[in-house]
Amino acid sequence: MVDVNKLREKAREVISREDVRELIGYRPGTYGFRARPAFVMGPDDTGELIFTPACVNNLASYIVLEEKLPVKRGEEPDLRKVAVMVKGCDSRALVQQMEEKAYDRDRILVLGIPCRGVVDMAKVQAKYPDVLEMGEIALEGDKFVLSFNGTKEEVPREELVADKCLRCRYPTPLVYDELLDEEVERFADDDFADVAELEKRAADDKWAYWEEKFSRCIRCYSCRNVCPMCYCEDCVLDRLQPQWMRRSVDISENTAYHISRAYHLAGRCIQCGECQRVCPVDIPLMELNRKFYKDVEDLYDYEPGTNVENPPLLSTFKVEDKEDFIM
Amino acid sequence: MALKKLSKEKVGEALAELSKFRLIAPAKSDDVVVFKQISDPAEAYLEYGNSTVPPKKFAFPQTETLFRFVTGSPDLTAKNVEEEGTTVIFGLRPCDARAMAIVDKLFSWDFDDPYYLKRRELTTLVGMACVEPPSVNCFCTSLGGSPFGTEGLDLLLTDMGDYYLVEALTDKGEKLEETLSSQLEDAPADDEKKAKDMAAASEGKIRRSINTEGIPEKLPDLWENGLWKKVSAACLGCGICTFLCPTCHCFDIQDEVEESGEGRRCRMWDSCMFEEYTVHASGHNPRPTRKERTRNRINHKYSYYPAHFDVIACVGCGRCINLCPVNIDILEILDQVVDA
Repeated sequence: MVDVNKLREKAREVISREDVRELIGYRPGTYGFRARPAFVMGPDDTGELIFTPACVNNLASYIVLEEKLPVKRGEEPDLRKVAVMVKGCDSRALVQQMEEKAYDRDRILVLGIPCRGVVDMAKVQAKYPDVLEMGEIALEGDKFVLSFNGTKEEVPREELVADKCLRCRYPTPLVYDELLDEEVERFADDDFADVAELEKRAADDKWAYWEEKFSRCIRCYSCRNVCPMCYCEDCVLDRLQPQWMRRSVDISENTAYHISRAYHLAGRCIQCGECQRVCPVDIPLMELNRKFYKDVEDLYDYEPGTNVENPPLLSTFKVEDKEDFIM
Repeated sequence: MALKKLSKEKVGEALAELSKFRLIAPAKSDDVVVFKQISDPAEAYLEYGNSTVPPKKFAFPQTETLFRFVTGSPDLTAKNVEEEGTTVIFGLRPCDARAMAIVDKLFSWDFDDPYYLKRRELTTLVGMACVEPPSVNCFCTSLGGSPFGTEGLDLLLTDMGDYYLVEALTDKGEKLEETLSSQLEDAPADDEKKAKDMAAASEGKIRRSINTEGIPEKLPDLWENGLWKKVSAACLGCGICTFLCPTCHCFDIQDEVEESGEGRRCRMWDSCMFEEYTVHASGHNPRPTRKERTRNRINHKYSYYPAHFDVIACVGCGRCINLCPVNIDILEILDQVVDA
């Protein structure tokens, strides 16, 4: 577990650098066990920074979510670096963004945080619905220790940990300028058993399953907005002339939306699971993304977001690429 | 008006009776509670906290056809809301009913919106008092509401254990009581007092609050204040806070035309948190970043709406706090407004 004082000290040092404009980390939330993104603009803002298993957000999203206003006449664009704290899974988003040449490597300063797992906040909320005053979560061995209202409770890791952490292949960030803690060795693997289960189901079954889920969608686009790989400057969803996708909310448009998004993420989704985490109506979007992930791995032996030198899968051709699935 | 009771054993029968209307009730979709039209009483899920999506869409649908047309023809077929028939929304929470009463003011302001108002006229709201506040982030009492509030409701049900206490609040509510006369019995004499005590107890369990006094007047002076940049820094620009808000009512109007030339003009929810919400045809956007959009969300609820309608457009349901992916908390923002 990264030491909080060391973390703040490092943040202070980084944000004091002349070539760093902003540091994105985590700070305690406003209720319960929440933590939230923190935007540090100067050394005095570092006192609140934390890293705990409550730090679920993938901060790599903010690198591409940044709003660039037109530079006023006579002003120079601010080209200083943005420093960002990333867990292993989150770091893969940075790698993939850079594989796609979304920005130059020297635009960001990466503070890597080796991680043994974060909580699924929905599970925490369900178990402790009445906790309002800020509580804290720590991971000690194979238990989460939750401190709140002057008491401490231990909960087995499996009970509250996010699903993605149970099959985490990259607990230590794959890209970083500085690592804030000891490296964590790979402690789990992903066999995609859940995807294999889904594949086995009959088409009608699958349709009924997804129809129920997609019919709940309210098209708030939180899945798109939170996604570190959804950074098109001009998203097809927002286009009115021509309107590629209708705004009307019904099962047909909702399905088209989610299938389009899943296709756009094929070979790109790095499995941070943010889309599914933020969905207010619990659509299991990662099941779609994981199906593509598995296919890409099986067909091309390619894992997105693992090597900055890799060219993006779907914009490259290799003679040894499989063709047997092409009709 | 004498209070009635509805035994829990007879709820199914009562819902069956009400299903001769368009009956909307909380139901489970997987583990998510949503309001939907039900035909089988067994679908109703009444032991819920609050629904994730408020029932506002049954007054103000997320997508609604205003009229149909054929390209090149001057003939229009307007949507006849009457065809939707008499509607009963069963079991909504007092905050969500109060929200409808607040939004009514907008849709009957300078123009009487025929679609919305007709639908409201056809709808009877049967509320379910919050014996326990559904979430730690409930703050209805700060906005003049109550877990047992009746504003906007036609009938209020209170869970008394084995039965629901039934209180008719309007003519529509009384009519509904008549419809259910075979299922309703007279309530015990001391239930009125009991319910009052329960209301006080539930109000006492509301843990979050904001003193709204002075906020509407103060907000215009904070236009350029640095707080907006800070509170919006983490915003993703998604539509969760507005789409799940029971009082948010912004809409866009778009035409959807098929290749055959048949089309419809429809109205759909829009969100001030979306980038293209304010984009001009020229490409200029007067709210270029999430800072301006967040400022608008707060100002609309806590400044513009009270300026026009004398009521804050927030009922304290807590959804925007509970479901924000980055823990942007409206009460924290309002605290900063107070302190600014």
